[in-house]
Amino acid sequence: MEEYKPPALPSPFNNTIPPPILLTQGAEAHLYKTTSLDPSIPAALKIRPSKPYRHPILDRRLTRQRIISEARCLAKLIREGVSVPALLALDWEGHGGPEGGWGGAWLMMEWIDGPVVRVVLEQWEAWMKQNEGSLDESQIENEEARVRGLLRKMGSAIGVLHKAGIVHGDLTTSNLMLRPSADAGDAVEGTGAPSLEGDVVLIDFGLASHSNQDEDRAVDLYVLERAIGSTHPRSEPLFEALITGYRDSYKGASSALKKLEDVRLRGRKRSMLG
Amino acid sequence: MIAIGMEGSANKLGIGIMLHPKDGSAPQVLANIRHTYVSPPGEGFLPKDTARHHRSWVVKLVKQALKEAKVSVDDVDCICFTKGPGMGAPLQSVVIAARMLSLLWGKELVGVNHCVGHIEMGRLITGATNPVVLYVSGGNTQVIAYSSQRYRIFGETLDMAVGNCLDRFARTLHISNDPAPGYNIEQLAKQGKQLVDLPYVVKGMDCSFSGILAAIDGLAKQWGLGGEEKAREDEQKTVDSITADESLEGKPTRADLCFSLQETVFSMLVEITERAMAHVGSKQVLIVGGVGSNERLQEMMGIMARDRGGSVYATDERFCIDNGIMIAQAGMLAYGTGFRTPLSESTCTQRFRTDEVFVKWRD
Amino acid sequence: MASSLETISVAHLPLMPVHVALYRDVQNAAFLKGQLLDGQAEFEYAFIDASMVLSRAQVIAAVFRAVNDYMHNRLKSHNVHSEIVFSLNPTNNISESFRRFGITDSTKDMLVVKVSVSPEITHESVAAHLDSSVQGTPVLFDDQTLSEMSDINKIKKAYKLGALPSPTAKKNDEAKQRLENSLLSSIALRGS
Repeated sequence: MEEYKPPALPSPFNNTIPPPILLTQGAEAHLYKTTSLDPSIPAALKIRPSKPYRHPILDRRLTRQRIISEARCLAKLIREGVSVPALLALDWEGHGGPEGGWGGAWLMMEWIDGPVVRVVLEQWEAWMKQNEGSLDESQIENEEARVRGLLRKMGSAIGVLHKAGIVHGDLTTSNLMLRPSADAGDAVEGTGAPSLEGDVVLIDFGLASHSNQDEDRAVDLYVLERAIGSTHPRSEPLFEALITGYRDSYKGASSALKKLEDVRLRGRKRSMLG
Repeated sequence: MIAIGMEGSANKLGIGIMLHPKDGSAPQVLANIRHTYVSPPGEGFLPKDTARHHRSWVVKLVKQALKEAKVSVDDVDCICFTKGPGMGAPLQSVVIAARMLSLLWGKELVGVNHCVGHIEMGRLITGATNPVVLYVSGGNTQVIAYSSQRYRIFGETLDMAVGNCLDRFARTLHISNDPAPGYNIEQLAKQGKQLVDLPYVVKGMDCSFSGILAAIDGLAKQWGLGGEEKAREDEQKTVDSITADESLEGKPTRADLCFSLQETVFSMLVEITERAMAHVGSKQVLIVGGVGSNERLQEMMGIMARDRGGSVYATDERFCIDNGIMIAQAGMLAYGTGFRTPLSESTCTQRFRTDEVFVKWRD
Repeated sequence: MASSLETISVAHLPLMPVHVALYRDVQNAAFLKGQLLDGQAEFEYAFIDASMVLSRAQVIAAVFRAVNDYMHNRLKSHNVHSEIVFSLNPTNNISESFRRFGITDSTKDMLVVKVSVSPEITHESVAAHLDSSVQGTPVLFDDQTLSEMSDINKIKKAYKLGALPSPTAKKNDEAKQRLENSLLSSIALRGS
């Protein structure tokens, strides 16, 4: 099998020194770490490469629509003061390498320093497993209270997002980051348990859209609930704290939460023929 | 071990006979016979007519299959039939035939999920071990991946199946249903050049086709390209004259519409498949179902898979389009694990999700 | 006083250094504007009214946008320097962008930008030309100095961000960051 080579970076990043570093490649986009316009400040560069399998006209249209939609969602959230990365620059046309072919559209964002919540919860669950034997009831309670605190912050961040009229479309613990405050350490002093302190930042609005529908909001919460259930079994029983954080974050929260109960009963999709 | 597979969930009646040699060597196809109910241009196949077709052909096809396979009734271990999903009346005619044979010959029954049949046949023929499966036909559109004893549906259509969308547009254009409407759309699309703008509806790993059908039907109407008369004109024209006199001034041709429809819906399918591949970390993709025989879809999927460092597996119309051997193949895998369908439970069902099947034969 | 022309190497544009000078108490804005309008080649600069500038980041974002569009033959205005002024504007109206962000006869605080789009344009050549043509006090191009010049209400109005809280004089103010980030979004998304 041929070795996979990521496509050439679109101009002007084919000239960037040092070259951007590829972090992840999803189906839709490649994420690079590079510098912002100021070389001393890091930035995230999201590239939507051209898809050679589809007709060039359709390819351009889709790539353009989607990157603009993502950027507009970000811009709206930035204006509303929601905790998301700043949008630094954008090119929805996209350019190939030196031969000038169609390379892909790109979006440059503020670099968020800190782990994704998935990693934080995994570390916490691993730490708990390791230390379970030596913890007494009050210590366990104390640990769970810390996770509840984090979940509450997550719920609150999602509430603020929904209040702004945007639904995320792909909420998982990989799309929530924990930005530690400047002076925070990695672990809790004394116990050595992983730190859960910091601000929750929402990332990746590739599937986000404008919506004020309770259905869409409920699906956002449901998808996250399922993701936590499947990847963080130990944190799942504490999900109620996320709901609490969400409920207190904006006025319409309770009707979205009511809808969540319906969505839980039927699943994300309706059952259908064939 | 030898199994007869009986399939009739849509307009194809398929009888197949498969052999799983005792020594564990590769399964063999002993017979693969199919008879298709073809409706006139401009019309779809109705359940009652299709059921009548299946009833009148099933005995003939079973006899022919046994003859071709050079096996006697005594050699047969079990009778596998399509339990669903599909159209009620046609499914029923075939399940009744299966039950009758079971009682007549004293053979055990194995009810098979149609989609799982496609997947197992595709895996067998292509040798793909653990692919992401795109199942595309007149009744189904699903992106499937295997995980802990289930074929899990990662994405699917939110309304009509992609094959249904193509078939119904073939009706709008009065394209022949022989051998299949989708096949004729594919041939006409090869002459298309101009891409018309159509809705493109992908939501995560799901997609929707009803808006696209409405839009392209609207375009056919707007440009006066639908109906019998235009279909006849097309038949009289040579390829050159179509491109020469109609592609002018932005007016799309019938071929352009077929081309645009294919380009749009296939892009959607490749996109959701790619997303599922990224999600489960698979580099293999297997296309099954009748629409899977479309060469443009295979080509697009191949480019996507290549760019991900993987490859596409597809089968030709013998295995891709509904058939009996796929039911025999999946049925025999279940039979091998001890699965039986008692006579009292040998029913069929229009709704039968792929992920309802407990896949005991895989790790 | 010696020129305080700063030459910035914008990351991702290593081949095109950007020269920026900030002036206070400019006496000859009318003359400079006249030269620009007459299309005098040696006066091809982005002359920006500094009261419309919130921060360095805003200016660099507009420069980057303009140079990227220039590199890919997508200029909406005459040249990369007029495009910088245009790029500060949140909408596609070129004359509006010059009314808002360009200099007027009475401009006192002025930002000048020049991009090295050809090898003859160097730090030295730009510094020398500006020294001889701009009558004003060169000051440091930093956020502190800019904050003394910016007219927050006018900026918010131009970007239709009236609902946003206004930054206070405090350093690293959250409201200022939010406003700045909002400006960057507008610059990035113009014309989308």
